[in-house]
Amino acid sequence: MAKVTLVEAVNMALARALEQDQDVVLLGEDIGRNGGVFRATVGLQERFGPLRVQDSTLAEGVIAGMAVGMASQGLKPVAEIQFMGFIYPALDQIANHMARMRNRTRGRLTMPIVVRMPHGGGIHAPEHHSESLETLLCHHAGLRVICPSSPARAYGLLLAAIRDPDPVMFLEPTRLYRMSKQEVLDDGLALPLDRAFRLREGEDVTVVTWGAMTHDVLRAAEQLSLEKIGCDVIDLASLSPIDHDTVLDSVARTGRLVIVHEAARHCGVGAEVAATVAERGLHDLLAPIRRITGYDTVMPYFKLEHDYIPSVARIVDGVREAVRT
Amino acid sequence: MKNVAEFTIRLEQVLGADGKPSGTLPDFARDAAEVERMYRMMTLCRLFDAKAINLQRTGRLGTYAPCTGHEATHVGVGAAMRQDDVLCPVYREYGTQLWRGVTLTEILVYWGGDERGTHFAGPRQDLPWCVPIASQMPIAAGVAMAFKVRNEPRCAVAYIGDGGTSEGAFYEAMNAAGAQKLPVVFVVVNNGWAISVPVAAQTAAQTLAQKAIAAGIPGVQVDGNDVLGVRSVMESALERARSGGGPTVVEALTYRLSDHTTADDATRYRPADELEAAWLREPLLRTRRYLESMGNWDEAREKSLREDCAAQIESAVRAYQTTPKDSTDAMFDHLFATLPEALEEQKDAARRWSSVNGGVGH
Amino acid sequence: MSRFNLPDLGEGLHEAEIVRWHVAVGDRVDVDQPMVAMETAKAVVEVPSPVAGVIAALHGKPGDTVATGGPLVDFREDGTAATGAPVTASGGVVGHMPTSDEEFQEVALPRAAAGAPGTRRRALPAARDLARRLGLDIEGIRGSGRDGLVTVDDVKAMAGPAAQPPSRTASIESTGEIEVLRSLRRAMAQSMSLARDNVMECTVCDDADIEHWETGNDYTARLLRAIAAGCSAEPGLNAWFDATSQGRRLFHKIDVGIAVDTPDGLLVPVIRDVGNRSAAELREDINRLKIGARDRTLPASDLRDFTFMLSNFGVMAGRYATPVVVPPAVAILGAGKVSRDVVAVGDRMEIHRRMPLSLTFDHRCVTGGEAVRLLGAVIRDLELRN
Repeated sequence: MAKVTLVEAVNMALARALEQDQDVVLLGEDIGRNGGVFRATVGLQERFGPLRVQDSTLAEGVIAGMAVGMASQGLKPVAEIQFMGFIYPALDQIANHMARMRNRTRGRLTMPIVVRMPHGGGIHAPEHHSESLETLLCHHAGLRVICPSSPARAYGLLLAAIRDPDPVMFLEPTRLYRMSKQEVLDDGLALPLDRAFRLREGEDVTVVTWGAMTHDVLRAAEQLSLEKIGCDVIDLASLSPIDHDTVLDSVARTGRLVIVHEAARHCGVGAEVAATVAERGLHDLLAPIRRITGYDTVMPYFKLEHDYIPSVARIVDGVREAVRT
Repeated sequence: MKNVAEFTIRLEQVLGADGKPSGTLPDFARDAAEVERMYRMMTLCRLFDAKAINLQRTGRLGTYAPCTGHEATHVGVGAAMRQDDVLCPVYREYGTQLWRGVTLTEILVYWGGDERGTHFAGPRQDLPWCVPIASQMPIAAGVAMAFKVRNEPRCAVAYIGDGGTSEGAFYEAMNAAGAQKLPVVFVVVNNGWAISVPVAAQTAAQTLAQKAIAAGIPGVQVDGNDVLGVRSVMESALERARSGGGPTVVEALTYRLSDHTTADDATRYRPADELEAAWLREPLLRTRRYLESMGNWDEAREKSLREDCAAQIESAVRAYQTTPKDSTDAMFDHLFATLPEALEEQKDAARRWSSVNGGVGH
Repeated sequence: MSRFNLPDLGEGLHEAEIVRWHVAVGDRVDVDQPMVAMETAKAVVEVPSPVAGVIAALHGKPGDTVATGGPLVDFREDGTAATGAPVTASGGVVGHMPTSDEEFQEVALPRAAAGAPGTRRRALPAARDLARRLGLDIEGIRGSGRDGLVTVDDVKAMAGPAAQPPSRTASIESTGEIEVLRSLRRAMAQSMSLARDNVMECTVCDDADIEHWETGNDYTARLLRAIAAGCSAEPGLNAWFDATSQGRRLFHKIDVGIAVDTPDGLLVPVIRDVGNRSAAELREDINRLKIGARDRTLPASDLRDFTFMLSNFGVMAGRYATPVVVPPAVAILGAGKVSRDVVAVGDRMEIHRRMPLSLTFDHRCVTGGEAVRLLGAVIRDLELRN
């Protein structure tokens, strides 16, 4: 078994999908000869040819729109948007067509599409290259939104996303692309798409997070364990739909909920998690719900980005507060 | 200094407004049965349009986008396409759609506010009506890409209006299709008006066809009221696409003889004399004159055609009006292949509240 | 005769003015023949006839304004309506914006002053809930949390170590005196006479197709849930009727009395709040009440104040019945014997298990429409797989 980074796991899953299914076609900017700006598609055009791994023209609306057109004729396009900050021109196609086509044709035309995009900051990138915009996508019925937090989950969830008969927005945490390695078996096995993953058991407080923040939360949980505070850490992984039951079950045991995400707080996915616990788990709560998130400001250029992204210290402090109540 | 690029835009016409050939007749134009088939479809569109407007005016149809004036363009395009080509329409190209097997009932069900109208029993791979302007263009390029990937001799045809050519998606799609030599034909239906804005206020370009030049692909104008001309130009463009020559932009010059939709009133912004003049160029009469000149048409056949069309329309209206309202389950059942558990509760709630509102009615 | 009401001629227009009539009373008109020119805020629009027939009346003269949805033309139809469909136009089918002349009235209120400190105890939701279940007054518990917040530990400390909170969902109190009923048959005779003398009973029957039930469905629990669905669809039958005051009292909570046949006569134990309880909880309660009814150990509190009644007579025999409403309740649902019936599925015959249902309602205060709406919702719920 090979130890691979998250971006290598993505590459493995893409190669596996291209190999297994002739209908899978990759498209995006610079994904062919260059292998993608993060090298997620490196070597794939050489192996599968320029029609299976296509360099798109530089227009996100065309990438998403062509994916819709190809899917309408039975292909399974996997599109790459170079950075999530560039998703806006593609939203017209994603929201108006990808998300709705099955519904508005009553199942006649379906959209087995994956749109992959690097998500979040922390890599000293230029402006517009560090955004966490999952809320934009989660508000659209008909889309699944997935954000893996480890090489193994990236591999298993990406394969599941490609095999899923409906459009899946696949958010790849840039900060984790090369941060650590994990043994990933290239066995072609997919993970379930709409389940949260419980990454650490604890009795005192439930901490819900996803994407790159998962690693900071786990580090915070480790520190807190020294203070005898046990964190039940849940990686949501699927941001739409949300596996609320896993969260509620955990809150029923711990009585406390802290939500950590990198995206801005206002209308963030964390608000949906908090609202659902308030609706369905209020009587289990021993303390008010807390959110530790990015600020409701513009994502700053890189000098300040680590002041924006919740730090391990901020998470530790927030969890302590929740437990103290 | 030297010229590095030059271009010209041709305007094609086969049949003049007087119904007399003004250009070389293509083969199909000598086949009276084929011309009659097109004329019949054009007539059906014209009569259906009137009925649909009446249904809206009597509260039995939602807002409807009429097609009167566009019959030659729509039918000419439909007749030029092969059945396994794929159409990416806007929302009023009924002539093309009917030719391809969409039914009158489906059109009515759709404008009656029901998505089931897009569940075409006929052309299963055609895209549904596209409301967000120009967004069908990149989709058509994608459809064409699918054919290219599979090495199938099929083409995509996308419609767009004159106003739509101001959208970025129009340029982006032409550009991508040109760069990747995709088998697609973009039909710009220039009917003079984008709701209330005339073409002259939409662009400084002399023609819309020349917008193709920037994408490095051919652009051609055709008299959009001339069904023979449209079909002929489309057949060439499709043949070119099918044989690997890449995309073409066809600008069909026609006129919107109706309002934009039944919720619009063109008298507020459109000069009456312009409309009057446009009626002199309308597509049905010249086609009929041509058929008559072939010795293939007379008053009796015209009358019987109109009766046939009326009967077809009446039966479609009846089928539409007896289509029961869909259940609220339908909102959920087609969202995903398998409904996520998280949504089951909402599906139940919708069902429950719908029953409070009296179930099927409301 | 049929009436044609002015539809919405644009998107969200709420009136139009008559410009001129092209037809007169007594004229014969064809489908789609122009009848009248109407001027809206947007345009002058020709309104065609939706039917073939003879004009019986024109509502308004040129210059008059007609409200969208208001009467425009009456027809005497001669049965040649070309569309073959009734005229249902009543204000447009899409883009209709409801309008009225009512003014939107609001008063800007100053922000409410914060309550005086100590007016209400601050407590965590979990603590408040536990206190309620233990029968403790939260106001009397001193909070050890920040700013006097009452925590779960505070409630537990107050209750003492032995206190066991009842399950959150069990709302029936187990206290109360045990009253042995001696003369069940006499009570039955009295209540039936009362029903006969007072209630205007009307029964409606239908079947629920339960072929697709998953295995393990609990009949009585499903019926209770279906009643809850029915009552939420049509709250008018989850009620008491007081003939003296001619008053009707609607209930939010649905307490269903279940007719239990005992050797001594009819007993009607009550399952409380069926709308908010799971199948398992309902089953637990049914079993408890059944045993209680058989052993005659039910407290009186379990035998009164039902808001709706269920008779599950089909466990023995009988398909349909005219179950009797016991006042002050206004409805009873009877479930008959489930049988395998031939039903039409599309154009095929299939054999499906069906449950016959008979709903009797008090027609003094329940309309037929309300009753069948409830019955419809009951059937829809029963026909769900689980």
